[in-house]
Amino acid sequence: MKVFLIGAGQVGSTVVEALHHDHELTVMDNEPSRLTAIAERYDVATFEGDGTSRRDLSRAGVGDASLVIACTSRDEVNLVAGMFARREAQGATTVIRTSNVEYVELWRGGQLDVDFVVSSELETAHAISRIIGVPAARQTDVFADGQVQIVEFDVEEGASQDVTGVPLRDARIPGDSKIAAIIRTPETTLPGGDDVINAGDRIVVIGSPQAAKAWSSLLWPESGIVRDVVVFGAGRVGSAIARVLLDQGIGVRMIEASSEQARRAAEAFPKARVFNSTGIDPDFLERERIGQAQAGIFAMRDDAKNQYAASLAKVHGIPFTIAIAHEAVSVAAFEQAGIDVSVNPRGVTAEEIVRFAHDPRTKQVAMLEGNRYEVLDVTTRDSSRYIGTQFRDMPVHGALIGAIVRNGTAIFPHGDDVLQVGDRVIVFTEAANVPWVVEAL
Amino acid sequence: MTQAVGHRIGPRRRLAIDVFATVNLVGTLVKYLGLGALFPVAVALWYGEPIWPFVAAGAITCGFGFALERATAGGAARVGVREGFLVVSATWLLAAGFASLPYLFAGGNQLGHPVDAYFEGMSGFTTTGASVVTDYDALSRSIDLWRAFTQWLGGMGIIVLAIAVLPRLRVGGRQLMESELPGPEVAQLAERIRSTARLLWMLYVGLTALETLSLASLGWLGVDDKMTPFEALSHAFTTMPTGGFSTQANSIEAFSAAAQWIIVVFMILAGANFALMYRGFVRRRPKVFLRDEEFRLYLALAFVASLVLTAQVWGYGIAEGEAAVRSGVFQTVSIMTTTGYASADFAVWPALALLSLFALMFVGGSAGSTGGSIKVVRHLLLGKVLRRELDQTVSPEVVMPVRLNGAPVDERTLRAIASFTLLYVGIWAVGAAVLAIDSALSGVDLGTLDALGTSATALGNVGPGFGITGPMGSFAPLGDVSKITLIGLMWAGRLEIVPVVVLLTRHYWRL
Repeated sequence: MKVFLIGAGQVGSTVVEALHHDHELTVMDNEPSRLTAIAERYDVATFEGDGTSRRDLSRAGVGDASLVIACTSRDEVNLVAGMFARREAQGATTVIRTSNVEYVELWRGGQLDVDFVVSSELETAHAISRIIGVPAARQTDVFADGQVQIVEFDVEEGASQDVTGVPLRDARIPGDSKIAAIIRTPETTLPGGDDVINAGDRIVVIGSPQAAKAWSSLLWPESGIVRDVVVFGAGRVGSAIARVLLDQGIGVRMIEASSEQARRAAEAFPKARVFNSTGIDPDFLERERIGQAQAGIFAMRDDAKNQYAASLAKVHGIPFTIAIAHEAVSVAAFEQAGIDVSVNPRGVTAEEIVRFAHDPRTKQVAMLEGNRYEVLDVTTRDSSRYIGTQFRDMPVHGALIGAIVRNGTAIFPHGDDVLQVGDRVIVFTEAANVPWVVEAL
Repeated sequence: MTQAVGHRIGPRRRLAIDVFATVNLVGTLVKYLGLGALFPVAVALWYGEPIWPFVAAGAITCGFGFALERATAGGAARVGVREGFLVVSATWLLAAGFASLPYLFAGGNQLGHPVDAYFEGMSGFTTTGASVVTDYDALSRSIDLWRAFTQWLGGMGIIVLAIAVLPRLRVGGRQLMESELPGPEVAQLAERIRSTARLLWMLYVGLTALETLSLASLGWLGVDDKMTPFEALSHAFTTMPTGGFSTQANSIEAFSAAAQWIIVVFMILAGANFALMYRGFVRRRPKVFLRDEEFRLYLALAFVASLVLTAQVWGYGIAEGEAAVRSGVFQTVSIMTTTGYASADFAVWPALALLSLFALMFVGGSAGSTGGSIKVVRHLLLGKVLRRELDQTVSPEVVMPVRLNGAPVDERTLRAIASFTLLYVGIWAVGAAVLAIDSALSGVDLGTLDALGTSATALGNVGPGFGITGPMGSFAPLGDVSKITLIGLMWAGRLEIVPVVVLLTRHYWRL
């Protein structure tokens, strides 16, 4: 597929990295240095130009593309580029990135003439809300309108003996769920009945949302349902997170250093309790019993501040910390510092955008462990050789079917279930195997 | 090369306001206000009473306004926010003067004295309802109706009326209206301030007509023989503006229970926000009443206070059954909305009942109503501010916007409300002190509670006070100093203090 990408910043380069293998990419940006950096690493065409100029877009060949992605950091550029791309490339799918939730609402209401709108803030907020729902998770994603959830857990000491230390065929695994992988660095096992989960492993589970919660309490027995969250930072990301959590009935306290932003947040969220404080003032943390909160989310603008505030919050007693890593490199640093979960908004956004580049049969993907593994949502073809095959007879090399969606309902298949035409298959696989897995189905 | 610019710099200007433009606009307003005399002229002709006092009053007022306008003509007639305060304050002083002219000419012993006439005029336009009249039967019908009519004009506001009809106020009307309409801010009903003013006045006229018909029908049906069309109009004219002037010495006590209940209903309406009523009644969206926090509190306060007062009246055996309930409800609504009618001589009620009424004098109607005093919405917001203060004492960093009907209220507005309330209480206290001192010096029998109550009733534009100024009494025995003080209190109270008090600050006048 020909993909035309406007914007070679962090989101853009993540998208390029994910797509350059399988697609023909043209990357456009007005900053030559960024284009050079991309051209040096990937085999893609680059074009220096302005995304808001129809002439530039036309000269760069946007008309030939079947997917146009506008993912600069500026909403206006993305909107204008998306609009021109509509005219230049009639049949193409257009995807634009925005940081303004209002545009997402406009798009949902059919008021924006683009196919998809992806908001970093909203994607980040949803990612965090999924993590809050499954507190033991390192990472989670949902498919099939929320019916299927994929969760990555770290198995720690103290996890229930029902699932750890025993061969999987004897383990009491929560119903409607499947272990897709046991990641024991450096190798990864697609597990069979003889395999054993041990403390220190990292596992990937595919299952219903209820099953995901059950796994969470098995692996992290002391964690309950999260009801009290403190969000540090009431900027765009922090506010989007607060809105999503409040909508789920979770109690939110917000801490914001700028009095102006704190006032705006307090006006926007009558249900949240907003404090005007830096979040690193020990007296304040003590007085407001911030340490009593079940989880802290660090969504300030500066990664270093997020890391320090998260560490300080841990000292004050917050058991579970989630930090926003604006720079990709901070994810590793946060992990070193003992932060439980890091979310990189640009990474999340890129992941969302990449979903649109897949075969039309392929609905959605999630990327795990950087980009090593992918989860695909593939609709089976009539000609697939596995139609009519029982699941116990499916080959077990390099890919695992976690769930199927039949007539809109998720089924977690057992060994004697049979794959049918038109089933959507949620499949976990290594990134390198994606082409043949899609081919086989 | 620098050019000499000295010749371009004019002489030093000392005044911070444009006096010419201000006087010019006041002249225009007064000129048209004089036309108001046409109504009592018609009444006097109808009843065969002398028309000359009203013709003279109208002619003098129109002439004076015209003279002011001509004397200051030709200037750049730009009236800004600054001038607005002076325009409103001065217009109201002159309006009271206009109202007092017929009393001067035809008031005889009761109203003929200049201070008395001016007192009655100010009490009329400010919709206070305090009166120096002692012998109501001696007043002619045209004077009776003139008293009522001045209250009716003052209720929705003479400047709001002027904005509605005078093309000259198309620009700059908003600030003037804000100075005159009660409450922290003016609700916009239409894009143009002029249309808003018209809609408010139309609703006001409509409700007055409805009340007149309701009351008059009692007379026609034979339920209440005393309620003639004349009485119905006189009392509708003083209910809707929450005025309280009556043609009767014993106020509403003179009429039947049915008339009293009808008046209760219209007093409640008069004390509600007119913009809200417009949306609820005219635009047919009754849910706005339920959603409005101020309206809910207004009704709740009226209900609780009615219960307290009824219990007192019944418990002390002053009245029983329906009569007790009626006294309790009527007096609560009358004092709370700052109407000031009486259905019984509450001055002789027990102390707790008096204290309840005294407290109600500080409640007032809703913002955007014709009622006076502090107003329910200010109490509501002050309560919220206090609760926030308590919260912030425990958690200094917490940020809590004060909300009204869900929308955050500007901090500046909250500060203005706090300072208004402080000024209000301060001016009330000073007024009471002056009354007490003057009465002591001139040998008038005005007790401590009476002095406090009389000051509160004037500042809140309520009407009757306690003791000799009570509902069945009169303000006539007070000394001139007291009367002038009360005139000032009524004036400041009607304009919600700030437009009057800023005139006392140095930087209002001087650069």
